[in-house]
Amino acid sequence: MLYVPEPWRVPVLVLTRKVEESITIGNHVTVTVLEVKGSQVKLGIKAPKDVPVNRTEIFESVINENIRASEAPSDFEALTFPIKQAPANKTGEL
Amino acid sequence: MNTIKTTRFGEIEVDESKAIRFTDGLPGFHNNRDFIILEHKPGSPFLWMQSMDTPDLAFVMINPFLMKSDYLQGLSPEEEALLKNEDDEIIVFSLVTIPRGEVQKATVNLLGPIVVGAKSRKAKQVILANAGYSHCQQMIFS
Repeated sequence: MLYVPEPWRVPVLVLTRKVEESITIGNHVTVTVLEVKGSQVKLGIKAPKDVPVNRTEIFESVINENIRASEAPSDFEALTFPIKQAPANKTGEL
Repeated sequence: MNTIKTTRFGEIEVDESKAIRFTDGLPGFHNNRDFIILEHKPGSPFLWMQSMDTPDLAFVMINPFLMKSDYLQGLSPEEEALLKNEDDEIIVFSLVTIPRGEVQKATVNLLGPIVVGAKSRKAKQVILANAGYSHCQQMIFS
């Protein structure tokens, strides 16, 4: 079954799974339904170490911040003075 | 050397061997994979990451360790692994958001650092979701 969700407006594949059943994406990523409690679903994700797995809202916050960052003015004189360090717990190497 | 057109800096000569490439794309800008890093001004802590393909696409960047000297310390092994760029030494930058006309409200994205391989020039934006970093950390000026 295909349906078009907001806000992506691209068709998605919809699969029905029971607890302990899983889906495999590509050759290396497996997502298993671990628990369903009311409207909450607990998923177990098995993916290679170099494949980032993120909650979509976190990924979207990075996209939105990238878009805001891309609108920087080319001249920002006031920012050329020295920056004070935010308080740090321990001293790190550069 | 090659010449590229930019909206902010006019036509500039770039050394293409110093370009960086987001092989998996930059989130939100997947059509722009190739960027060049420029100095903002001599002595400034700020850099620019200018798209090689889109003249008006450029980002302000800073060395995040200037903001937070213990940045990237105490990460989980999983997040350490995300930072790795094969065996290459990595250089880490953070994107800076500067609201127009409100430079004092500039913020730094510590949640999603840009990681560049020193030799390969392969770049990626890594999301460190479990380290408690903000995508809009207020900058503090002395």
